[in-house]
Amino acid sequence: CQKKLVEKPYTVFTVDYFKTPSGLQNGVNALYSGLRFIYGSIGGMYLLNSGTDEWTYGDQVQGGGELEMASYALPSTNGHVLTMWNNNFANINLANALIQFAPEVEMDAGAKAVLVGEARFLRAYYYFLLVAQFGAVPLDLGGGELQFNQNPFQGFNRLPTDQLFIKNYQTIIDDLTFASQNLPAARPAGAFKLSKAAALHMLAKAYIYRAYSAAKQTTDFKSAWDAAKTIIDNQGTYGTSLLTNFADVNKEGNEYNPEILLSVERTPGNPIDNEVANIGNDFANKANISLNLFNCNYQNSVAIPAGSAKFPCDRVIQYSRPLRQFVPTPYVYNIAFADKLNDSRYGNSFRTMWRATNSNVAGISPGDTAYLLTASDAEGDAIIARGVPYRVIKPSEFYLPSRPALQMFPALTKYDDNKRQAPNDGSGRPFPIAKLSETYLLAAEAAIGDNRPADALPLVLAIRQRAAYRAGLSQTELEARQGRMRQRNTGTTANPVWVDLGVADMTLDFILDERTRELCGESTRWPDLACRNKLVERVKLYNLAAAARVAEKNNLRPIPQTQLDAINDPDKLQYQNPGY
Amino acid sequence: QDKRVTGRVIDEKGESVPGATVIVKGTNKGTTTDSSGTFHLNVPASTTITITFTGYAPQDINVGDGRSLNIRLMTASKELDQIVVVGYGTQRKRDVTGSVVSVNERALREVPVANLQSALQGRAAGLEVQKTGTKPGAGAVIRIRGERSINGSNDPLLVLDGIPYEGGNINDINPDDVASVEILKDASATAIYGSRGSNGVILISTKRGRTGEARLNYNGYYGINKVRTKYKVFNAQEYQDLRNGSVYAGGYMPEEQASIAAGRSTDWQDLMYEDGHVTDQNLSVGGGSAGNSWSLGGGYYKETAVLPGQDFTRYSLRATIDSKVGKRIKIGLNTLNTVNVTNGSQFVDPMFPLLTLSPLMPAYDDNGKLLLSPTGNTDDRVGQYNPLFLKNNNNNWIDRITRMRSFNSLYGELQIAEGLKYRINVGLDYRKQESDQFRSSDNAQNPSYFRARLGNTASVNNFEGWGYTLENIVTYEKTIAQKHRINVTGLYSYQEDHTHNTFVSKDSIDENFIQFYNLGQANASNNVKPVVSGAESSFALLSYMARINYSYDDRYLLTLTGRIDGSSRLAPGNKYHRYPAISAGWNASNESFMKGIQWLSNLKLRVGYGQTSNQSINPYSSLGQVSTYNGIGDVGSLGSITRYNYGPTVVSGYNLTALPNSSLDWEYTKTVNVGVDFGLFNSRITGSVDWYHANTFNILYGITLPATSGVRGQYLTNIGEMENKGLEIALSSNNISTKDGFTWSTDLNIFLNRNKLLKLTDGFTQNIASQLFIGQPLTAIYDYTKLGIWQTSETAEAAKFGNLPGDIKLADISGPGGKPDGVIDPNYDRHVIGSSQADWQGGITNRFAYKGFDLSFVVYARFGGLLVSQLHQPFAAYTALLNGNRNTIKVDYWTPENPTNDFPSPTSMTRTRPIGTDLTTLGYYDASFVKLRSVNLGYNFSPRIVRHVGAQSIRIYLTVQNPWVIYSPYMRAGGVDPEATGTGNQGIQNPGNLSTRALTISASTPPTMSFLAGANLSF
Repeated sequence: CQKKLVEKPYTVFTVDYFKTPSGLQNGVNALYSGLRFIYGSIGGMYLLNSGTDEWTYGDQVQGGGELEMASYALPSTNGHVLTMWNNNFANINLANALIQFAPEVEMDAGAKAVLVGEARFLRAYYYFLLVAQFGAVPLDLGGGELQFNQNPFQGFNRLPTDQLFIKNYQTIIDDLTFASQNLPAARPAGAFKLSKAAALHMLAKAYIYRAYSAAKQTTDFKSAWDAAKTIIDNQGTYGTSLLTNFADVNKEGNEYNPEILLSVERTPGNPIDNEVANIGNDFANKANISLNLFNCNYQNSVAIPAGSAKFPCDRVIQYSRPLRQFVPTPYVYNIAFADKLNDSRYGNSFRTMWRATNSNVAGISPGDTAYLLTASDAEGDAIIARGVPYRVIKPSEFYLPSRPALQMFPALTKYDDNKRQAPNDGSGRPFPIAKLSETYLLAAEAAIGDNRPADALPLVLAIRQRAAYRAGLSQTELEARQGRMRQRNTGTTANPVWVDLGVADMTLDFILDERTRELCGESTRWPDLACRNKLVERVKLYNLAAAARVAEKNNLRPIPQTQLDAINDPDKLQYQNPGY
Repeated sequence: QDKRVTGRVIDEKGESVPGATVIVKGTNKGTTTDSSGTFHLNVPASTTITITFTGYAPQDINVGDGRSLNIRLMTASKELDQIVVVGYGTQRKRDVTGSVVSVNERALREVPVANLQSALQGRAAGLEVQKTGTKPGAGAVIRIRGERSINGSNDPLLVLDGIPYEGGNINDINPDDVASVEILKDASATAIYGSRGSNGVILISTKRGRTGEARLNYNGYYGINKVRTKYKVFNAQEYQDLRNGSVYAGGYMPEEQASIAAGRSTDWQDLMYEDGHVTDQNLSVGGGSAGNSWSLGGGYYKETAVLPGQDFTRYSLRATIDSKVGKRIKIGLNTLNTVNVTNGSQFVDPMFPLLTLSPLMPAYDDNGKLLLSPTGNTDDRVGQYNPLFLKNNNNNWIDRITRMRSFNSLYGELQIAEGLKYRINVGLDYRKQESDQFRSSDNAQNPSYFRARLGNTASVNNFEGWGYTLENIVTYEKTIAQKHRINVTGLYSYQEDHTHNTFVSKDSIDENFIQFYNLGQANASNNVKPVVSGAESSFALLSYMARINYSYDDRYLLTLTGRIDGSSRLAPGNKYHRYPAISAGWNASNESFMKGIQWLSNLKLRVGYGQTSNQSINPYSSLGQVSTYNGIGDVGSLGSITRYNYGPTVVSGYNLTALPNSSLDWEYTKTVNVGVDFGLFNSRITGSVDWYHANTFNILYGITLPATSGVRGQYLTNIGEMENKGLEIALSSNNISTKDGFTWSTDLNIFLNRNKLLKLTDGFTQNIASQLFIGQPLTAIYDYTKLGIWQTSETAEAAKFGNLPGDIKLADISGPGGKPDGVIDPNYDRHVIGSSQADWQGGITNRFAYKGFDLSFVVYARFGGLLVSQLHQPFAAYTALLNGNRNTIKVDYWTPENPTNDFPSPTSMTRTRPIGTDLTTLGYYDASFVKLRSVNLGYNFSPRIVRHVGAQSIRIYLTVQNPWVIYSPYMRAGGVDPEATGTGNQGIQNPGNLSTRALTISASTPPTMSFLAGANLSF
């Protein structure tokens, strides 16, 4: 009978599982999968986009954690900051386990080196995301620095923060360097496995972020340049190239194009494999609702064509759920995209025209224009004067300083997904987090930081010239537009004065504007501004709804209250970021 | 020469005693009394008959030449020969030294009930029964003397006919099968259950056959459930006022504008609620002779709710055999078989739309057709269909749980020698549950409420559990020199239990009519793969137990108990634990010097000490766990498996989901109990008072580790110490008993429990993340204190805190200097604001009888403590979020014209405030209540009429259940019922400061009152 008291579980694995080849592989799979928590969920999208110069909040934001983030009335109890905090450390600890146990795993050394390279890349990346949001974060989770923690540790190894912050960046750079040496050069054509290319890209980014920080090293910009330039100069080796048409980069169905170095993968139309129980209702966890968050309210009274009292557009899969969380600021459509003609990227990033899906409104048949958001008020007035049956909405109606966003505004289309079952559903598309065009801009920025702005100019021009392309343009027209993209307009839209871009234009602010044009809404803007110490300045300039409250302390998020509540030190405030 | 004798057996209170055994002395010939206490027996003249009944002194009656007898049994408290069931045996009441409460069959029958937990509510001091759901078939939280474990289960051990009832869904038991319930409260009584005794033990004895002519009994009732209290929501005009004053900018829908013009208002609750029905039908036959007895019984119970699609049905079948084989051997079998079918418990009920749909929206269009999506805002329009579609299933959904259980116990008893007995008990338990779900695809002709604009989906979850218990019991009884009575019990037992489930879910079934019956008939494309999951869990328990009862001259009593339990659940080295207990009693009234005190008919003092523990550590807890669980939803649910894909290749991921803990140890409790039993004025007043003090060590606890530990989920470990102390008073009084048969009697119980966390071994004085506070009860609630609402006259003062008039005014309790600092801060201004611990609670039952009529009513009261109304916490339930998008429950919100201190202004809720979580403070209410639980009026037809129709007894009755909440501050504030609808967070968003053990109220099926009519017939 004594033997009967020995437990023999069938389905419960112990930590030793990670010492087997399949355990190591399945652990790495889980590390990849953890990125889904951040890229697509409401919390992740808020942490990475909200409260920047690009994005203000929509009418649907009525208090709660969303308004706190969007307006910088940010307390330590905010729920969205938990998205990274609650998930990244578990993945870091798993990476620690895999890296620590790998020498014991009996398997092919080459394959093992790749798995360890993946684990170190992902550990670095989870740290990178945290450091950019919170500053110093523990390297010792309870089992020693970068060691797998199996203890029920209730402390918080964050002090002193300045020294830890330096170590944090060093860890990130060491891990990414290892990854850039041990991973395959290029990713497979049809999948987003980690590669040297992705590692070099993130390494360049990490060096740049560090270069603006208290942990900066004099060589950082140079190192960033080296990493980025390695990819740009060896595109064949790294299996990457710029696409001809900007419109194709984020196009649905073209997710595995060579310009994308790394995406967080999901399977289109397959919520269960995407770890989503209720695809229509899940906003958090691993759901990707990015497409709905950026969507405007094409079904509201403000969008009803005059005199009809009916909506010409049903809520359809094509147009998605209008969650109205992220609304472009006037900076986006008036300043960054002042030129919407030569630069194809505005039209290829935003939806400004909706087609009718029904015959509710007299004079509008299915497929006809239902709503039109115009490029300028003047254009809008001209169209209205023609007496069109559809509703014409002018830029002055997108946004009101007194009440930040109206219901209709240019809606980001980069995350569109037509393979969903229902209009309210989240998306199953891979979520790009590194692409070659950004590598160009990182290299250019590194050159500027390294006081070689002349090296930046050709890289910036390469990206800008590509943006002139639109399908169907004659060669002459294309070349004319490419010419304009090598220039900037010092006049007005109506009366342009074109001047060639020169070395003197190669400034951080120009790069940030160019990043908006190239990467608008691609979930990197908030850390981009905060880590470059540009958040307060540009928010005060461009985001009226957040300008009143934003302050230097906001370059870091508060340490979540739940963390402080869970640690066994009664003096909790010493762990909090300044000002919170 | 035999003649027919008819008799009626009554108790001291003049009430009939059903089920009493009547035997012709010296023979096996006999019968039992029916539900009116009546018996008929053919006996030779001048014989003596013996009447016995549990709890009463046996009585011999010489029939003489009478044909009609009235026999009054005296409660054995006088004789103290009442037999009570204790663990692994029975004892005379007077020998009991522990704290044991018996609830006999009559008390159980007094109120017709759906399940055993409702029958026990308010019946015994120290026994707290709280509902955790209002749907048919919902469970209850049962607590004996409060909570001793934070993380482990606090459910008492259920023992059915001697065999532990594992996986104890108390709904599996047909209350009509139960003959008596004993509640073992203190450690000296429960220590014989060792590792499972610390939460108290409920011993359930089922009906068995009785010697005598075969008897047919029918018990049944039928009733109607009606909504007792509707949720108060804003009507059309009030909603319009709210919406116009809110930040909502969406405008009114065309239908709403029509309503405004026409002054039309829709009451969604009125349109939805319907009358529920309840019926309970039980038939049983039993009899026996010559040492053999048998019984058979069948039952059918069905309850439908006030919301469509929710019902609960129970079919039960029971058989018992007890038989003598020769002179020394007795064998027996008891088999209890039930099938339960619960509909409507898995899907989200429509309470949210019923409370939040715009009252300006009509339910029907101008042609009388249901509006597809009658929402007042466009955001809800796609997903929220008209809840009235639920009134007609139309093959749109199946939400069914079928549960089958076969619980069997066998015994063999061998009389080895005088006083020496060996008994083997074998328990065989098999349970199976299938949860079926189907939701049809949506189409214009047949809209699918649960799958708005979606395709169909179905799932099946099969669960199987089986276990067995083997008990070898040796008992020895000896009386030496007439005065020394010794009773020794020895036990060796072994128990094993296994459970396993398989879950399959599939989208895109080929045709809706397939439902869930073949998930293989479905679109097999990559995008809609089936979801499959499963789990397994097994445990074993090995025990040795010995008990010695010693009594001297019926005056001095001593019980010594020892038990050793070995459990599979703990790591090697910690598997075994010892449980000693000692208790003593003094029957003071048996002392010669007390005999002269006339008014004191009984006085007994009891004192006991014992150790017990809680073995509710889940199997495999000490091993740690690496699994595919991603922390999303429940383990095994859709989307909860870590997956990733590299292009088209989908893979699984494994992560550390629980830390190993090889030092996990028993949580154990040491209890001291002091009690006194008394009887006054010739036992017209009887009662008991118990005081106890229980200290729990090695508290088992799932620590919420900080996220930076790198471990998700909770870490189960032993962390500290807590105490429970309490007082229990039970009184029974025979108030009036007149010669012409009018009686009035009262049972009263009052009890209180004080729970306190004494020590945390991990360095915390308060662990806020885990809601643990030294010196406070486990159910402590930690939050800001709401002082009221900032008023216009306080604008300047409010601004200092960053608030505007209309915001919640929070108390500034402290600051970094230990003094109020003019800033509200989560680190200094939250504190324990209360707990859900009641100051005291109790129940009172009054019974009146006159001639054939009897009337009784039961009142249950609970005073003190806080309840958490998630209905009123705006972001918890979204039912009080005054943003104008949807209707809400009717709260008194602030406007400049209505300077209330109750709810903040709608605009306050939708702007940022220095403390965004201040809205949780809107959900705390005084949990006190007094409820009239039932009123029962019965009539026993006179034997003359009864015999006329060939019956032995006929009783009919009318009952009203839960008709009236006499007192409840929460209901005065707009709640519908002060009792919890669930535990932990039931809201959409977690308010963040609720432990999983907190009793909470959410929007669920409204409370009902029932009107029942029933009959008890005996033939």
